[in-house]
Amino acid sequence: MQSGFEINKNVVIGILGMFDRLSPSIQLVRQIFVALQGAFAEHQVMLKKLSLKRKLCVVLVRSEEDLAKCDALILPGGESTTIALLARLAGLLEPLREFTKTKPVWGTCAGAILLAQTVENTKKGGQEVLGGMSISIARNGWGSQVESFEAPLVAEGLRESDRPFPGVFIRAPVVLSLNPKPQDPPITIVARISAGLLPKTQTLVPPDEDDTDPRDARTIVALRQGRHLLTTFHPELTTDHRIHEYFVHECVLGSSA
Amino acid sequence: MTTPVATPGGSPLPVPVGAGNTNGTPVVAPVRSNTHKDGGSSLGTFGVKSGLAQMLKGGVIMDVVNAEQARIAEEAGACAVMALERVPADIRAQGGVARMSDPHMIKQIVDAVTIPVMAKVRIGHFVEAQILQAIGIDYIDESEVLTPADEEHHINKHAFKVPFVCGARNLGEALRRISEGAAFIRTKGEAGTGNVVEAVRHQRSVMSEIRKASVMTEEELYAYAKEIQAPFHLLKETARLKRLPVVNFAAGGIATPADAALMMQLGCDGVFVGSGIFHSGDPAKRAKAVVQAVTHYNNPKILADISENLGDAMVGLTITDEMKGGRLASRGW
Repeated sequence: MQSGFEINKNVVIGILGMFDRLSPSIQLVRQIFVALQGAFAEHQVMLKKLSLKRKLCVVLVRSEEDLAKCDALILPGGESTTIALLARLAGLLEPLREFTKTKPVWGTCAGAILLAQTVENTKKGGQEVLGGMSISIARNGWGSQVESFEAPLVAEGLRESDRPFPGVFIRAPVVLSLNPKPQDPPITIVARISAGLLPKTQTLVPPDEDDTDPRDARTIVALRQGRHLLTTFHPELTTDHRIHEYFVHECVLGSSA
Repeated sequence: MTTPVATPGGSPLPVPVGAGNTNGTPVVAPVRSNTHKDGGSSLGTFGVKSGLAQMLKGGVIMDVVNAEQARIAEEAGACAVMALERVPADIRAQGGVARMSDPHMIKQIVDAVTIPVMAKVRIGHFVEAQILQAIGIDYIDESEVLTPADEEHHINKHAFKVPFVCGARNLGEALRRISEGAAFIRTKGEAGTGNVVEAVRHQRSVMSEIRKASVMTEEELYAYAKEIQAPFHLLKETARLKRLPVVNFAAGGIATPADAALMMQLGCDGVFVGSGIFHSGDPAKRAKAVVQAVTHYNNPKILADISENLGDAMVGLTITDEMKGGRLASRGW
């Protein structure tokens, strides 16, 4: 949980993205994205809005060299099967796994699936993930697009936490269970939805013995483990940048912010 | 550059009048209703409709006619598939009235893959759309490729929870479709020809009209809205964003990785490939190549590598009024 930044060094945040429509003039604090396919421009715009003491640069990551420049990474929404395939074709899967072991990573929606240790409802033959967070997650947990919805969320640890965060859930994944091993960093729940919004079709996975929280894991929509952040919804599609702020302050900069 | 579009709260886009916008009764227990009260949620808002399209950006959507092709498309990295009974090239060759596909066949495709599944309905045929919504399809294409059911009206797409994509040849047509509730626009191109010329014409036309509008004064925008028959508020928003207020893909006649990259360089957010994949010599290889071309669209070296040894491309057609099936792009109003 150390903060590895020198005071006057820029922070580079990468967005994993094979689709480069980042505007060339972006010079913010340093942070990094990966964008292979999906919603990276939206993340970039949100990061631009943050007011930080540190300078933040946002770069698009499509190759190992891009990734090497990054201090942190955002895995954007999109289709996890497509993003994983493009990452493999670009020779990025192993470098990403290595990156995930040492540096802060935030996965939204499809990115959350990539960050999970185990995934249910995968395509036939299974699917490649990066791992990094000791949870089990189900793709398309709510069903098809007709079931996509918006709902206000109560989030802990955000600025003005009494103001609900607008949750946009699009064919969103569902967290099934938390399975931290003793040596893993502890998991912090950042946001939940009310149990009444849970999909009727998803069955509950019995909680792990180590799971200290007795509540239904499926209501968790945002959580943090070590310096990784996971959200099953899309903060980048809203005008509220508090979760981007949380990631940069808490996960990337740590106490040096 | 891509500007995020249609963000909840910040958008002057029309608010859907269907699900998600009814000021219903107070919710006692938090249930998934259409209200936006404490703990409640809103289904099918314009935010989640256009949001899914935003998640498809930088991706390729492929036409498939059965579960096996859908699996090939998913393995190749397609970000969505379009389920239909006949690809446009066959509709063109066989003639007759082209309709919505059999729901059973669509459901088989839905079960075969994890990526979003789209399906086509005839222009104006809102009952076909109701059926597709009932079986839980992810996106509906109100498409000129099928035989139109109404020669005057398009579907009122606000009335649906499921989002719609529509074709457009120019800015006016695109904004008319958005005002009817389309959350996603594509070029019409000329489907089933393997000839990209019409898609290029439509994309260039949209982009050049946006550039024109973006430097206009408000007075000029009023006159321009009248000229291109577009709702003024959507034209104004487009001029401000310097792009369409929803995601814009290329479609119609794309057959090679180079075609896909061309459309991306012309400013499209992603690509639909219809007959181009499964009417070619090696569909799996070509599909993967097109997916990579859309990712690396401005890297000619990678494009050269992935364009090698793809086997036969689909047979192309010269676009004339006399060709079999005629001009599909002229359908829609």
